[in-house]
Amino acid sequence: MEHSLSIGFAGNPNCGKTTLFNAYTGANLKVANWPGVTVEKKEGSFKFHDHLYKLVDLPGAYSLTSYTLEEQVTRQYILGPEVDVIIDVADASALERNLYLTLQLIELGKPVILALNMMDIVEKRGMEIDLHRLPEMLGIPVIPVSARRKTGLDILMHAAAHHADGGSDLPLIHHHDESGETVTQQTRHEKLAMVYSPDIEEKIDQLSALLRESYPEIVNLRWHAVKLLEGDREIRERYPLDCPDILDRSYEKEIINQKYDFIEEIVSEVLVNRDRKAAVTDRADTLLTHPVLGLPIFLLVMALVFFLTFSVGDWLKGYFETGLELLSGGARAGLAALHVSPVAISLLVDGIIAGVGGILTFLPNIFILFLALAFLEDSGYMSRVAYVMDGIMGRLGLSGRAFIPMVLGFGCTVPAIMATRTLENKHDRYRTMLITPFMSCSARLPIYVLFSSIFFAEHAMLAAFSMYLLGLAVAVLCAFLIRLGDRKQEDPSSLLIELPEYKSPSARTIAIYVWEKVKDYLTKAGTTIFIASIIMWFLLHFGPGGYSEEMSVTFGSMLGRFVVPFFQPIGLGFWQVVVALIAGVSAKEVVVSSCAVLFGIGNINSAAGMTALQGSLSALGFGALNAYALMTFSLLYVPCAATLAVIHRETESWRRTLLTAVFQIGVAWVVTFAVYHIGLLLV
Amino acid sequence: MTLHEGEAGQSYRVSGLELPTALERRLEALGILEGTAVTVLRKKPHGAMVIYVRGARFAIGRRIAENITVSGKEVH
Repeated sequence: MEHSLSIGFAGNPNCGKTTLFNAYTGANLKVANWPGVTVEKKEGSFKFHDHLYKLVDLPGAYSLTSYTLEEQVTRQYILGPEVDVIIDVADASALERNLYLTLQLIELGKPVILALNMMDIVEKRGMEIDLHRLPEMLGIPVIPVSARRKTGLDILMHAAAHHADGGSDLPLIHHHDESGETVTQQTRHEKLAMVYSPDIEEKIDQLSALLRESYPEIVNLRWHAVKLLEGDREIRERYPLDCPDILDRSYEKEIINQKYDFIEEIVSEVLVNRDRKAAVTDRADTLLTHPVLGLPIFLLVMALVFFLTFSVGDWLKGYFETGLELLSGGARAGLAALHVSPVAISLLVDGIIAGVGGILTFLPNIFILFLALAFLEDSGYMSRVAYVMDGIMGRLGLSGRAFIPMVLGFGCTVPAIMATRTLENKHDRYRTMLITPFMSCSARLPIYVLFSSIFFAEHAMLAAFSMYLLGLAVAVLCAFLIRLGDRKQEDPSSLLIELPEYKSPSARTIAIYVWEKVKDYLTKAGTTIFIASIIMWFLLHFGPGGYSEEMSVTFGSMLGRFVVPFFQPIGLGFWQVVVALIAGVSAKEVVVSSCAVLFGIGNINSAAGMTALQGSLSALGFGALNAYALMTFSLLYVPCAATLAVIHRETESWRRTLLTAVFQIGVAWVVTFAVYHIGLLLV
Repeated sequence: MTLHEGEAGQSYRVSGLELPTALERRLEALGILEGTAVTVLRKKPHGAMVIYVRGARFAIGRRIAENITVSGKEVH
């Protein structure tokens, strides 16, 4: 017989919950939002020993109050009927803080299993956790696991299946007390993990009785009573009680302190041989978060990331180009042999293969970039960057935390915009959204690689790297100017971020992360860029007079010539370039794929393709300075349609979305104008 | 004294918080409240600091550190 078991994964942020979740489900996930809120919900399922396990990754949380959306979502879900068992993932190397959530989960009344992750770190530091005493004190099963090494996974699911059966919705945990008649402080300790001081326990009893009378539908009276004592807004509104003598004030501080007192008691009993030596993390932090060296080290790390992106990526790229060359030549010859009409051959070879294929050859660069970013994120370095940058960001009126979305922006602007959610202050968040798109994302990489290789020869990498610095400088300058012009001049919200232990990143987590990005890139090549290439081909091969080999009489050139005056002052007064830039709003890579279609170049990223493009461009009078202007404008103007969509989703305002787009085009124009004219003076 | 005035390498005990309610709640959930022992690990001369609380490290900004009062230097 097949059972189905629904398991919720709860835990603090950075406890390895997602790694553990991935270890069960692999990349086979369903990602959606929780109903009504913009909090991500991940679901997966798998079969094991006749059971179908449905796993839900709950948002990372430190507590279960009703102050943040994540916490509300988590506790509503656990209280609801959908979930059978909770697996509480805890970082064993930070047991004290993790147990705080554990105690709250236990109080909710559903069966809870504690998965003790990162035991290897505990052992490495010369500590031990008493795995007999811990479950005894908590009254729930405790299973040591390693999400990274994938150990203990089967046992954990086994425990989940067995423990689920004992699930009454009451917070009874120890099953050896059958009588349960006379309740004393003593008998409570036999039944409950967390027992408060006598005065609070008395209030809990009184409130439970009142709640039972007024709201018989409540299953877990004890939890609701505790929440009323804490002054929990949501529970107070839903189950109001008129008893000013019991609820004379908020007992939240007492409740929290007593929980932590109990945790300290647990930790002192179960944690053997607590380490006093400076752990590896502390030694690494001495250098990485050094007040003076921290910043240069970060810049060096980023320089290394880009160096790898260009050098290793370029080396791999060669193989892709050869493949594309064969495909393109083969397709043209094959189709010609089959007497396919020249228009169709042109569409396929000059439009689709040139556009989409040209973009695919940049995949190795992008692969390396995301690999490096995943490494930085998973190792725990990223949160240190927030600390290192806090001083500089503070001068821009932002907390160091706002720098994390900016670094992520080097990969892709869309998730970077979503990462601004970690900024609580709405105003700070919108400002961060405005400047994050200036961070040069991977989609702009093909433009730099192509144009800097053509026009800057041996200085190509320098020219490309200067774009990243320029983007950063423009972002910083804009943040500063926005702050100056800001009438409110609120105090910037202060930094508060956990610095997790450094760990060697998990290959699996990185593989999943990178694969998702590569998949996104391939999907984009197959959809947006594919369609854009076809549209470009039509615009450039059809005019009022129908199909034409002469591009200057086509719709595309008419459109380009119409907008050219706007681009003239910034060194981009070429209708072909203008058309490519307009098309680039769909996705930045399209600037490159459009050039391939515009100039009829089959393999744009190869040496032959570049020579051909250079020839065509030189014929137009487009030189190195124009190329640099093009790179600058591409860096700064509206990143892509997907970014605008995500800004609209996150701000829920068309006005702000439109404002953002206009702002970015304006900044791009002004900066490119400056770059071009300074260049004219120098050359 | 405030936590901001604390020295790197020293331990203190929190005696009070004077912060917006929402922020106080977050600190409470992280286990930083009255009576908690805090060790300052690192600090920048005029800015943020790294503290060690209940087995975890946190980077906190100056504004937060200035509004946490602490007492007693304890031997680490």
